[in-house]
Amino acid sequence: MAVNALGPYDFPSADRQENFGDDMLVHVLWANNMMFCSAACFRAPRAMPWEDFKAQLMDPWAASDPDYEPSAPKGWALDGKPFNPEPGQSLAELGVVHKGLITFEA
Amino acid sequence: MAKLSMKERYSLLTRDLDWTPTYVDPKDVYPYTRYEGIKIHDWDAWEDPFRLTIDSYCKYQAEKDKKLYAVIDGFAQGQGHLSVADARYFNSLKLFLQGVTPLEYAAHRHFAYLARHLDGPGARFAALCQSIDELRHCQTEIHTLSQFNKYYGGFHDWSRMHDRVWYLSVPKSFFDDGISAGPFEFLTAISFSFEYFLTNLLFVPFMSGASFNGDLATMTFGFSAQSDESRHMTLGLEVIKFMLEQDEGNVPIIQDWIDKWFWRGYRLLGLVAGMMDYMLPKKVMSWKEAFELYLEEQMLNGLFPDLEFYGVRPPRHVEQAIIEKEYVSHQVYWILYQFSFAAAFNTTVPTDEELDWLSASYPETFDRYYRPLWEKARRIQDGGGRFFFQGLPQLCQTCQIPMGFTEPGNPAEIAQRHSEYKGERFNFCSDGCQWIFDREPEKYVQAWLPVHQIYQGNCGGATVPEVLDWYGIEQGSDNLEYLTSPDKASWDEWHAPAALPGGGK
Amino acid sequence: MSTAKTRWVGVDLQDSDDTRMLVEAMEVDNPDVTVRHMPGIVKLQSATELVIKRETVEEKVGRPWETHEFQMNIVSYAGNISEWDDDQIVIKWEH
Repeated sequence: MAVNALGPYDFPSADRQENFGDDMLVHVLWANNMMFCSAACFRAPRAMPWEDFKAQLMDPWAASDPDYEPSAPKGWALDGKPFNPEPGQSLAELGVVHKGLITFEA
Repeated sequence: MAKLSMKERYSLLTRDLDWTPTYVDPKDVYPYTRYEGIKIHDWDAWEDPFRLTIDSYCKYQAEKDKKLYAVIDGFAQGQGHLSVADARYFNSLKLFLQGVTPLEYAAHRHFAYLARHLDGPGARFAALCQSIDELRHCQTEIHTLSQFNKYYGGFHDWSRMHDRVWYLSVPKSFFDDGISAGPFEFLTAISFSFEYFLTNLLFVPFMSGASFNGDLATMTFGFSAQSDESRHMTLGLEVIKFMLEQDEGNVPIIQDWIDKWFWRGYRLLGLVAGMMDYMLPKKVMSWKEAFELYLEEQMLNGLFPDLEFYGVRPPRHVEQAIIEKEYVSHQVYWILYQFSFAAAFNTTVPTDEELDWLSASYPETFDRYYRPLWEKARRIQDGGGRFFFQGLPQLCQTCQIPMGFTEPGNPAEIAQRHSEYKGERFNFCSDGCQWIFDREPEKYVQAWLPVHQIYQGNCGGATVPEVLDWYGIEQGSDNLEYLTSPDKASWDEWHAPAALPGGGK
Repeated sequence: MSTAKTRWVGVDLQDSDDTRMLVEAMEVDNPDVTVRHMPGIVKLQSATELVIKRETVEEKVGRPWETHEFQMNIVSYAGNISEWDDDQIVIKWEH
């Protein structure tokens, strides 16, 4: 259903991929830890290898909880489907979409 | 000569001053009231029970202002700020000044537009009075709350913060959604849904909160504004009935708006839920109690049976709001607590007495899900730290709140919904927010989402200090933990026992 | 036969000296009214309707009183303002 408007109403999306160049927004949710009120949102290069994404972005954030162990995450999922990232695989290769969601438990 | 009755006077001084133009088509004089699909056949059917004319309006509003400013002056002269329950209370006022006062101004502007662009003179006059009311509310709020700026952080730059700061995009986008809609949707959204259906859930927590916590000035402002609100409520109820009665075809359009604006308003009021359960040292009532009284009892059991007559049903997604009354306040304050490094107010772990009050008020959920979080936050604090979310949150595309809401009935599972539009993904906190997006995606894809804007480099820089600077937030005095804040230090100093004469060696 | 929930008609007034007289007047004209005092507010409720009569208020306050003055006391209301003229204000649900 379209917007009811006085005239043509077609404006660009504020967060489209091209506004982030070669980067994307990626969300990470620590699913079974209520200490974090929500998933986190990161900006990361689409070509960023998984091990760098985890070590440089995800782990420092998850360490907001002093009980976090970087080796503990398991039960990974990408947009609801089981996910087994290899260290060298890039986010793009792994099928992470712009504004997509990675989930883990620990 | 006999004096005119109220009815005659009202008629002569409002609608009888109207005329049908002859040099132009009336449709050209009022170009905005047809495109939404709402059909009005007879504007004269508009009823205004208050029957105010401009002379009585001005007389009574002036009297209200005189009474209020006398109290504000007395409060300031008597160092009234020192008599509030605790400096922690001021954080609720910071939220109000930053979040609500700018909406009053926007309402003033938009009702002025309606005072010009509605076809019927009765409706135009009601809108004109409301426009002046809202400007008065904005001004009196600024006057009432700015006096605290002399003593406490967070009050100094509300207008700039409203336009830039992450949690303030929630009220800002709510109102922007309304003022960019057509006149009938705006009236449904604001006059009906916000100022009638949901109004008590905004006003009672803040104003009774002021009263319970010794804030005479804000409480007096609240009463001064509330007497105007009874006219606003009446306008809201009248506009809904008027539209529903004018044409059967209006009913489904209005139902959709009732559904949309209930949910948008309800999510916005999550901020109030968190405030009333956590920011008031002396509690008025719990969010759950307020919701049961003002929404379930007064509205769902009182108002909606009345509207059933027209074929209107209670808003969709209201069942989720009813389920969420058991925990939404905890979810929202938990968000604010861990992000207050980037907020223009302080937060803190509730005291033991407060934790017990929360347990008693929320027997189904608090001890099971939330007390453990607060206990852990306190352990971190006792160890010299302070729990903060060290990163940026996932935001809902529609309500723009960090996605801390959960599957209905399950506080442990964060809710995730998403839609795709023109190949791009959008995320939502709930079915309600997703439904709103899906019916008007062209609108919501334009949303200025604070987290995404920071990542696009539009908020002053890539680091927290640069963003806070752009926000206008003064690091160390507006933000962070209450217990180590300048507000608390000042409060303790001003309430220290007086030194004995002679130095007391 | 089902038991319908009571649909309360109500008005919340500021707890001021003027309101004290107004409440007395409303108690005269609304025999089934319940009056509750909360901080700063007086809540009046009725299962049927609430009526404010100018004449009764004038008797209580001891001076001329016009119904428009009611705006100075009101905080909120539940129901419909069904009538408001020189002599009375009526609040009730329509349907």
